[in-house]
Amino acid sequence: MFLARPSQLVKAGIVGMNMRNVRLIAENNPRHLYPRVDDKLKTKLLAREAGIAVPRLYGVVRFQHHVRRLHDFLGRFDGFVMKPSKGSGGKGILVVTGRDGDLYVKPSGARITETDVRRHASNTLSGLFSLGGKPDVAMIEELVDFSDVFDGFSFEGVPDIRVIVYKGFPMMAMTRLSTRASDGKANLHQGAVGVGIDIGSGRALKAVQNGRPIERHPDTGKELASFFVPDWRRFLELAARCYEVTELGYLGADIVLDRVKGPQILELNARPGLAIQVANGAGMQPRIDAIEEVVGRGYGYKERVEFSMQAFGAL
Amino acid sequence: MKNKLQIRIVISLLLLIGVGTTIYKVKVLGFSLSPETRETVWTVEAVITFEAEGGPVRVQLNSPDNRGGLEAIDTKAVANEGYRYAVEEVDGVKRAVWTTDRAQGPQKIYYQLNIYRRGSAGEGGTQPPALPAAGAFSGPLEVAASALVKQAAAEGATPVDQAKALLRLLNSPGLNDNAALLLEKAKASEGTLALARNLLAVAGIPARVMKGISLNSDKKKQKIRGYIEIYDGSSWVLLDPKTAEAMSDDAFLLWQKGDESLLEVEGGHGSKIRFSVVSSRVMANKAAIGAGLHQGSVLVDFSIYTLPLADQNTFKLLLLIPFGALVVVVLRNLVGIRTSGTFMPILIALTFLQTTLLAGLFLFIVIVGIGLLLRSYLSRLNLLLVPRISAVLVFVIFIFLAVSVTSHKLGSDFGLTVTYFPMIIISWTIERMCILWEEEGPKEVLVQGGGSLFTASLVYLLLKNKFIAHLTYSFPELLLVLLAVILTIGSYSGYRLTELRRFEPMAAED
Repeated sequence: MFLARPSQLVKAGIVGMNMRNVRLIAENNPRHLYPRVDDKLKTKLLAREAGIAVPRLYGVVRFQHHVRRLHDFLGRFDGFVMKPSKGSGGKGILVVTGRDGDLYVKPSGARITETDVRRHASNTLSGLFSLGGKPDVAMIEELVDFSDVFDGFSFEGVPDIRVIVYKGFPMMAMTRLSTRASDGKANLHQGAVGVGIDIGSGRALKAVQNGRPIERHPDTGKELASFFVPDWRRFLELAARCYEVTELGYLGADIVLDRVKGPQILELNARPGLAIQVANGAGMQPRIDAIEEVVGRGYGYKERVEFSMQAFGAL
Repeated sequence: MKNKLQIRIVISLLLLIGVGTTIYKVKVLGFSLSPETRETVWTVEAVITFEAEGGPVRVQLNSPDNRGGLEAIDTKAVANEGYRYAVEEVDGVKRAVWTTDRAQGPQKIYYQLNIYRRGSAGEGGTQPPALPAAGAFSGPLEVAASALVKQAAAEGATPVDQAKALLRLLNSPGLNDNAALLLEKAKASEGTLALARNLLAVAGIPARVMKGISLNSDKKKQKIRGYIEIYDGSSWVLLDPKTAEAMSDDAFLLWQKGDESLLEVEGGHGSKIRFSVVSSRVMANKAAIGAGLHQGSVLVDFSIYTLPLADQNTFKLLLLIPFGALVVVVLRNLVGIRTSGTFMPILIALTFLQTTLLAGLFLFIVIVGIGLLLRSYLSRLNLLLVPRISAVLVFVIFIFLAVSVTSHKLGSDFGLTVTYFPMIIISWTIERMCILWEEEGPKEVLVQGGGSLFTASLVYLLLKNKFIAHLTYSFPELLLVLLAVILTIGSYSGYRLTELRRFEPMAAED
């Protein structure tokens, strides 16, 4: 059948866009809290204060006169990531993995000069990469030393884990794997693979590309059912703690895995999308209802994670 | 939940006020929901002429009464210089009064009325008058009168038939001695109409004399004529004394009831009054608005109809814009179509009004297509936002110029309409689509571009729709209903149409 009947979707517990906007976002995410996640610098400072693991912040380029001293400042670090605090769509992120004399080495092996780095910082400050061209600041942070457990699952780059947290309870999780068709981007509607992750165990539940189930990664051939997140409870605890920091009731946490430091919060999102339901092959509504029943009990983050793993675990 | 209740109350109030006002305007003020409804409007002109005697002059003209649903839309009084015009009410009768301190020689006063009918004809609610006391006739006249009434009663059973018979008898005095006798006496005193009324009173039929003009006559020049109106037990029936037939009273303009005087001139002599009637068909709502303004109805008086015509036309268009917004709301939140820029489709639709639909679609695709090509080059230059948009704006102007000149050289002027496109909006559209292309890929550009054009086309068809234009202009309060609908959709948390497709693989069996 081409179209589902609304009653079928209700039965499957699917949350639609209008429901997300009216119920989940408008009722749980007050507008004044948005800057806590839309401004990555703010997110990082809040997280650091609360002791939540994030890639270390080396420094912030706030003014043009900082740009002149940038080269001296960066001399201390081999690799670093420079990104706009209010960037949109992953634009303006400069990754440097090493040095070659005075030159900076990018992950592709290309070398750029000090002037290039300065111009990048300068462009960031003037708002080239931010939404609506608003003036911005450039954050310089530690390069994540990605663990190799996810090798071969992505066409390019390293996948991150998206956990949706409802009122502090981890509700649903997935990872997005880039493909050749998605042009190396992790956007599901551009053809990236979405893999639903079981809240109870951190194992892959099912994988979809363009809304259809698949078994293997179309480019690397890796069997997607073997996707597994080690140390899963720490991932969930990290995500759950973001609720106390942001106070956003409907929150998406993007988490990466560092070889040494373990899971780290990379980004938070106040308007996480609904594709995660397709990747999980399940609707969010029953889980929302289950959380609503226990939300008044004053659980700490550990109890919340325990509840979620018990209640939503499938395997 | 408290929120929800509040929204429901607000929505109900808006619906109540919007629909209520609309119904009131239709039922009471005579507005029509259909733009096709036409009403006949009669322009009645009375010309008063007299010879002024050099001193102060005072002219009084009885105003026509509203009767049988006839209603004046407006009145105009034009007189020689120096006359003051006023409407005075004497003994419950409205009279138009002209006064001047000094006038000499022939004078002319024009009094013009636009009249139209609202609702059905027939005068309800008026109670029959008491029969005049007997004794109008005495001596031999009384005998003649009762003989005549008896004869008439023999010819008809109902009051109307009896009255008709009586009038017929009076019309042929040569055949009836009684009638001849009565008519002779009447001519010397009150006149034949009063005689007929008195005879009807003897027969026990309430009757009254009415003077006025028949609007349905083909003759342009009209004289005020007398008619007899009788009460048949349930309603009033107007009879023409000349033909002795009932006349349809839906086009009878009553100018003088009973003993009111029609025209009084003080300080002049040889006064004459002539009437002329011209009928025309006018949009029902125009007539209703005119009548509303004439009567000072608050709903009409405090509305856009009192604005200058040019501003009214602006508002005609402005009032339609919310409907465009509704289309966008429905398509985005109920259907789930993605557009580039929330209200950009409305602005494009406004442009289509100038270019026509197909030409507009073609031009839009050409402009944005070329614009995207040029803009994609800018991407490589890493320009700042404002200079970048400004550069795109310059491109857009060049494209406008190129399209216009090319089309003109090819011998068609259709490309010249390109200038109606809002260039700032087009520039932003190009900018947004280019970013979309970089971030989400060409497919998303096609989806959003197509969605925008589809929405714009729908809005355009709506803006062109005569019925909706009529509704918004005649019933601006319907915007409250529209607002209620938008608020309802705003709190709708169900699925969008496209989501039934998107989540179809996950549908549960039921």
